[in-house]
Amino acid sequence: MDDRRARFDAQILPHLDAAHRLAHWLSRSSPDADDIVQDAVLRAFRGFDGLRGSDAKAWLLTIVRNCCLSTLSQRQRRSFVPLPEEHDVQDGHAMIADTPDPESESIRRDQRQVLERLLAALPEEHREVLVLREIEDLDYRQIAAVTCVPIGTVMSRLARARAALKTSWQRQVEGESRAMR
Amino acid sequence: MQCAEALKVQAYFDGEADAMTAVALEAHLEHCAECAALLEELHALRTALRREIAYPQAPAALESRIAAALDREQKSRRDVPGALPLRGRLRSFWTGALSGIGATAAAAGLAFFMLAPPHADLPEQLASAHIRSLMPDHLIDVASSDKHTVKPWFAGHADVSPSVADFESRGFRLVGGRADYFDQQRAAVVVYQHGSHIINVFSWAAADRGLPGSTTRNGYHMEFWRTGNLAHCAVSDAGWNEVSALVKLLQTLEHGDSRE
Repeated sequence: MDDRRARFDAQILPHLDAAHRLAHWLSRSSPDADDIVQDAVLRAFRGFDGLRGSDAKAWLLTIVRNCCLSTLSQRQRRSFVPLPEEHDVQDGHAMIADTPDPESESIRRDQRQVLERLLAALPEEHREVLVLREIEDLDYRQIAAVTCVPIGTVMSRLARARAALKTSWQRQVEGESRAMR
Repeated sequence: MQCAEALKVQAYFDGEADAMTAVALEAHLEHCAECAALLEELHALRTALRREIAYPQAPAALESRIAAALDREQKSRRDVPGALPLRGRLRSFWTGALSGIGATAAAAGLAFFMLAPPHADLPEQLASAHIRSLMPDHLIDVASSDKHTVKPWFAGHADVSPSVADFESRGFRLVGGRADYFDQQRAAVVVYQHGSHIINVFSWAAADRGLPGSTTRNGYHMEFWRTGNLAHCAVSDAGWNEVSALVKLLQTLEHGDSRE
């Protein structure tokens, strides 16, 4: 194993789980997730000389995200619809695109499944910023780098994503308590 | 309607608020029930997500698949130095990858990570300084739209004295100035506002070292220019046209200054 490969393994491979989680969430657990990660890691390996002390995790996740978006857009051109940035948050449910109506679905008790389903139902922009912040624990600067937007946009997007998830979660809880009665 | 401090509450919760803001916000939380409730919601949501969302590990099979793919890649690099068999495929992939997703932003992000431009360090330092300035209470040391207040302020606080003017009639309002420690000196930063966009104009002494061309980092546009031994850079998330328009105004001004 040459030195370059050894450095790559030491710096990049520890973030394989994070890469896999992001691919899983961005592709809505599509069977492509594994291929996307493998593709991204190979690309990272080819471009590794350009990394130079930048943040290895954010760098790998940037590549994973690009691979996801391109795979998804090849598959279905609809996948990445930018949301309006300047909108007010009051009406969180307007943000939840193509969500199956929580009340019409059979109500699931398992909170894990519920949250996973609600998160998966968020639009890409919201889902990715929540996954990067809450699950991967990246800071604003890293999220800005991964998603190629200014920090201010990260902050407002994160606020809207949290409000949207909270709203759909509340509606779910209310739906359940109505069903109990 | 949400309290105006809501984004600060979020930044505080995410550990992104500086010490001064945090102290001020803690005081605010004492008497703003709305923000206190928001903070609790943020906690509840994070706790639920971190507890309930599965943290799947990459499957072992995937790890070994990747290790094998890396071995092959490494071998092909060794065998054919400078001519990767996948190169053609790679380029067409990127063309496809970039077409779908805001090509400029994606390209900027990739250029940032994948290339090592000759001035790798400078735009990076500027982008960091710009981003830092956008954090609460970091933007301005002297707040004034009066160039006669801002310019003298630099005399005691920065190593250089930049041109300062208010171009409000042209859409660029002077909002203040700041000193940033940058490139091993105290650079002067003049802050303009255009619509909702902040434009930081950095000025520093740069002897005769070359400057990078215009570039984009993390979504921020940067335009460089030089007057005498001063280097300048305008950094903003405003559009290229707006950044260039301000740079032109400043260049005209500097010409005037040097004739005086």
